[in-house]
Amino acid sequence: MNFGAAIAGARGRVVAALAARFRDLDLAEEAFSEASLSALTAWPSDPPRDPAAWLWRAALRRAVDARRRTRTRENAVHDAPPPEPTPEDLAMLADQPIPDERLRLIFVCCHPALALESRAALTLKVVCGLSTERLARAFLVGESAMLQRITRAKKKIAAAAVPFEVPARAAWPERLEAVLATLEIAYAQAYEDAALAGDCADFAAEVLRLSGLLAELVPDDPEVLGLAALVRFAEARRPARLDDGGAMAPISEQDVAAWNDRLIAEGARRLDRAAREKGTGPYRMMAAIHAAHLSRRESGATPWPAIATLYDALVLLRPGPVTAVNRAVAIGEAHGPQAGLAALAAIPAGRDLSRWLPWQVARAGLNDRAGRRAEALAAYDAALALDPPPAERLYLARKRAEIAAP
Amino acid sequence: MQYMLLIYEPEEHYANASEAFLTEIVGKHMALSAELREKGLLIGGDGLQGVETATTVVTDSGGVQSLHDGPFAETREQLGGYYLIDVPDLDAALAWARRMPVVPGGKVEVRPVMIY
Repeated sequence: MNFGAAIAGARGRVVAALAARFRDLDLAEEAFSEASLSALTAWPSDPPRDPAAWLWRAALRRAVDARRRTRTRENAVHDAPPPEPTPEDLAMLADQPIPDERLRLIFVCCHPALALESRAALTLKVVCGLSTERLARAFLVGESAMLQRITRAKKKIAAAAVPFEVPARAAWPERLEAVLATLEIAYAQAYEDAALAGDCADFAAEVLRLSGLLAELVPDDPEVLGLAALVRFAEARRPARLDDGGAMAPISEQDVAAWNDRLIAEGARRLDRAAREKGTGPYRMMAAIHAAHLSRRESGATPWPAIATLYDALVLLRPGPVTAVNRAVAIGEAHGPQAGLAALAAIPAGRDLSRWLPWQVARAGLNDRAGRRAEALAAYDAALALDPPPAERLYLARKRAEIAAP
Repeated sequence: MQYMLLIYEPEEHYANASEAFLTEIVGKHMALSAELREKGLLIGGDGLQGVETATTVVTDSGGVQSLHDGPFAETREQLGGYYLIDVPDLDAALAWARRMPVVPGGKVEVRPVMIY
């Protein structure tokens, strides 16, 4: 038996059950890590039949002991502590199957009363067991800043009494949106700087797992399924995102042979499942756009008109400059660069778009294709001046060189 | 669990308000507090007079105190009233906070009360 894998596999369920039982994230995490340590000592000579059940029993005992110790210390302070399980209760509890409280735990960690970035870090820490050090690297902050972020979020959950409950169905749209936004930002973190650091794959794998878990726990929500599909499609293309020279390869120019078949199939399955549910939303729509791009693997050509139509729908579901710029690029491919430039020009300037990299990149590409060499060169220069990530810089510099040569 | 719901609103909205508007918003507060009281959730609450009546006692780093005419924070929204309620958890407190009658731009801060 691979003990490390067995412990990691049991973690989410055991920590969630402990957190739901004791309504204390720190206690749950500590009890689990103590139980894991004793498992590593006990298992080699006496391997358990059911590692998860073993860990649940051990962690439960530790949590009860720890709770008893703090209660004795604080008894004078707190009025009426909740009743503790007796040894008999505990034995009975430990013998029952581990209750699946993971959804509850996800809702607690993703509560909209917590800041979005704290939610993402907290969820990955508590539900997936990522270390503070790993999270600090992924979110590009110092370890002490990350520790503080997580501690503050936990403290707020305890002090403000964030309920350890799956919210009532009426509150689901808002609460589920908070969960999805949390997963999205966690995945974006793994995706963004993939070109910079080769070590993002493990982090992305955790987000992939988490989005899959959520789709298992909430199997009938098209947005949950949509997000699970989306991260699979995006992750499937990870090996193809850079070309041999280390430059960024846009999705429509990637080598389809490098795409991961298994992840694409997993994503497609979830997207099909989403199509059977009523209602749609931005995640499902983004997954559909991604699926259209991936269909180039079979057909040999990107279906740009279909993608442009999907973007028309997405701007309604998720308005904003990111969607609008991508839509303009799709329109440019589907209906000619003039149409794309018109769509780009029609984007309402909520901020100074000229200082925004995706806008300059789109402008450069569309002018380039329209044969407006001077405008294209100016836009490439402006984009390069905006300090793009290294892989994108290489790509833009190459594109610029192609038209700069007489 | 006790929570303080602190109501911050742009004061000019009230300064220029019609009699009818004031009657309406006061009526809404009366109805809400009656509902809270009936459910046994209300511990206290009041509206405050305008910030032009506020005086702030400032203690500087050396411990010297001085008086300052006005509220301490120079923001557009001012603390105009509060409710102190006793509900099971944050979600319940937030649900009541959403029901506060506020003018556009109004904000309701939900703060758990310390337990001693």
